[in-house]
Amino acid sequence: MIFPSNSGKNLPLEGIRILDFTVVWAGPFATQLLAEWGAEVIRVESTKFFPSTTRGTLARPSKELVQQGGIGGYPNNDPGDRPWNRAALFNVHARNKKSMTVDLNTDEGQEIFERLIRESDGLIENNAIATMERAGVSWEKVSKINPKFILVRMPAFGISGPYKSYRTFGSHMESVVGHYSLFGYPGETPEASGTSLFADPASGVSGALAFMAGLRQRKRTGKGLQIETSTAENFANQLGPHILKHSMDGKDGEYKGNRNSIYAPQGVYPCNEEDSWLSITIYNDSQWNKLCSVLDNSDLQNNVEYQTNEGRMRNHQFIDDQISRWTKEHNSVEAMNLLQDNGIPAGAILNERDAFLDPHLDEREYWEELTHPETGTFLYPGVLWKAALTPNELRRAAPRLGEDNEYVYKDLLKYNNEEYENFVKSGHIGMDYDESIQ
Amino acid sequence: MNFELPLSGVKVLDLTWHSAGPYCTRLLADYGADVIKIERPKFGDPSRDIPTFFSQEHAKETSSLFMFLNTQKRSLTLNLKDSKGVSILESLVRESDILVENFSPGVMESLGLGYEKLSKINPSLVFTSITNFGQTGPYKDWLGSDLVLYGMGGPMLNTGHPDKEPLQIAEYLPSFHVGSTAAAATSVSLWGAESKGIGDWLDINYFETLMGHIDRRSTALLNYQYNGVISTRPPIAGSPGSGVWPTSDGGYFFTTVLANRFSAMARMIGAEHLLDEPAWATPAARAVPERTDEFSAMVILWMLEHTKKEIRDEVESAGVYGGPINNIAELLKDHHFEERAFFQEIDHPLTGPLTYPGYNFRIRDEDGEKTLPNRTPSPLLGQHTDQILINELGMTNIAVEKLRDEGVI
Repeated sequence: MIFPSNSGKNLPLEGIRILDFTVVWAGPFATQLLAEWGAEVIRVESTKFFPSTTRGTLARPSKELVQQGGIGGYPNNDPGDRPWNRAALFNVHARNKKSMTVDLNTDEGQEIFERLIRESDGLIENNAIATMERAGVSWEKVSKINPKFILVRMPAFGISGPYKSYRTFGSHMESVVGHYSLFGYPGETPEASGTSLFADPASGVSGALAFMAGLRQRKRTGKGLQIETSTAENFANQLGPHILKHSMDGKDGEYKGNRNSIYAPQGVYPCNEEDSWLSITIYNDSQWNKLCSVLDNSDLQNNVEYQTNEGRMRNHQFIDDQISRWTKEHNSVEAMNLLQDNGIPAGAILNERDAFLDPHLDEREYWEELTHPETGTFLYPGVLWKAALTPNELRRAAPRLGEDNEYVYKDLLKYNNEEYENFVKSGHIGMDYDESIQ
Repeated sequence: MNFELPLSGVKVLDLTWHSAGPYCTRLLADYGADVIKIERPKFGDPSRDIPTFFSQEHAKETSSLFMFLNTQKRSLTLNLKDSKGVSILESLVRESDILVENFSPGVMESLGLGYEKLSKINPSLVFTSITNFGQTGPYKDWLGSDLVLYGMGGPMLNTGHPDKEPLQIAEYLPSFHVGSTAAAATSVSLWGAESKGIGDWLDINYFETLMGHIDRRSTALLNYQYNGVISTRPPIAGSPGSGVWPTSDGGYFFTTVLANRFSAMARMIGAEHLLDEPAWATPAARAVPERTDEFSAMVILWMLEHTKKEIRDEVESAGVYGGPINNIAELLKDHHFEERAFFQEIDHPLTGPLTYPGYNFRIRDEDGEKTLPNRTPSPLLGQHTDQILINELGMTNIAVEKLRDEGVI
């Protein structure tokens, strides 16, 4: 069954079925995007194995631990009877996807997997290399079973090379490819910069693009293929101008906080509430003059030196102090509106409350409501882009573990009731993680 | 053997400039699309003027940003404010599958090149628009920058030091992420257009792309509704062992959020005795902030006695998640990327060969791993104007010379 879309025009990926072996964030973001545009995405999970940082950081965190915070977020800080169905970490991206369970570490599980491969267009994964070897996922294998199969692999460092087995999260891949040398506070060490997790979404989008390229290649050639997109290499690509600059001048970047290497002033300035901030970028003299008028600051307005970008760059700290004097008196969202109404690029650093109150997102109907049987009704970031001829909306909340077993085993794989019951007994089918898993 | 890439035969009209749009079409070109970059006569894409330049003498052609973003593309200069320029563009639209633009909302319409008009010329055209805030809504004409838009949409409130202002990430990352999303979106709609013969008009923008991308932001948006929590920049060492630590020769970054990763790290630094002590034995016991401070003291001592390479060699057998803090020079020398032949030399007529990041994908089929083509360098301004107008649109040399005299090309 494909969930009906609300429009006349079909979603472009209707009829495409993808086996989803993704974990944490990068891979799930790839399948999120494809599911949004109509692909049937089936998460292939197991009740015997809890992948790290996916359906929560632990399968069964204690209520005490959840209330201490920092463990991903459960409704009312209550992990509930089945925490793996309630974690914000998972439920935010798994919308529109289905979930089945199978124990791939058995011969029977591998037979089920073969049927799945025959019935599907492709598979997307972003696991440790060894995990996929154990699960029996390889190009050699899937292409023998289904020569038209599209296998998208999103390993950390690649499926070959000295680092292929290193255990990492996206943020570590960022540190390996140099990102932590490119952002930071002036005069501080990388420790002060905190964490960037940008490699995950970056890799997720590239995984979706790789799958689409795979579909087109299969249509052109009639044959399946494997496309590998390594998170580290993808992120190194996004640092391309810095790499090319280095190959031109041999110099390493230096920390410049929130300043811009070309335009001045640019910065993040404190506003009148706790942890509230306004960012401003001045691209040209005209925007500068407008800013001076809004700030009504004669020290800035009357200084000829500040009339050029070079002069503003030389006096950046003084200008920053003057801007901060003004922003400290203002609410960040109000200041953003005031500056933008005057033609100045400025934005509040929006927190969660500001984001849900934002009139622009509201008017564009960005937030979409979904009801989940074990968490309730909440707003989710909606479909990431709009298509004029293809209205689109979220269709279903995140699947509970194994929620779609009946559909997958019976309707899709054509197992009969007796076989299904046997799979329940042999531990493939279930909606609870094995009790040994904490 | 001639390997044809997945987007072979796809023609892209590239009306983008600066960074987000060009990153989108760069990815499409990497996957094999024929990308024609439309540039303003004499000036070209403004990113041509953004430093660092390989040589001041050839500033317009040797900007590191421009050279990175525009490999594999062809450059056609065209004045879109001239009706002859518009009619050439219309001829190209007839032959194209995709048009990508990142002008402010309404600019394409004002040039007579809006979706409604172009879709009549070519109904299967995928028309991709990239903007700061989208084609509609109260902010549609607002101005933005990577910083402004990352701050509004992205997880900036969570990035940086808790005692300091939120911190931006490396330059261009927000733009490239939006461009990459646009490439994925375009390829999804191309699939629909090629199957059904009907194109689409895509509205992709920084604000919504960053608000919904998967990072702490999206989880925090749901957690706010779950528990009313407004997130901020977490402590630098958020759990025992997590964070960036100084080594004898730089820094190393570890994450130990998982129960078993803490044990692995404790063993790695020779503190396995902690695991038997009640104050350390369970995740809940370790979540007390004092544990983080106590463990930090032990970690730092161990770290300072080791180099990044020594730690790198330890972590795999220890089962700890982490990575060294490298700079670009270290990345370029890293033996992993060397062994995978990731970096590419691309020869440009005005710079000679320089090192670029390689493709972000590799392809294997029944015949084995494919050799991806060597990329062509970023085009000189108007380098392919004659080739496209004369050889592909069938215009005469005389007509092209006349257009050149009139400043149309």
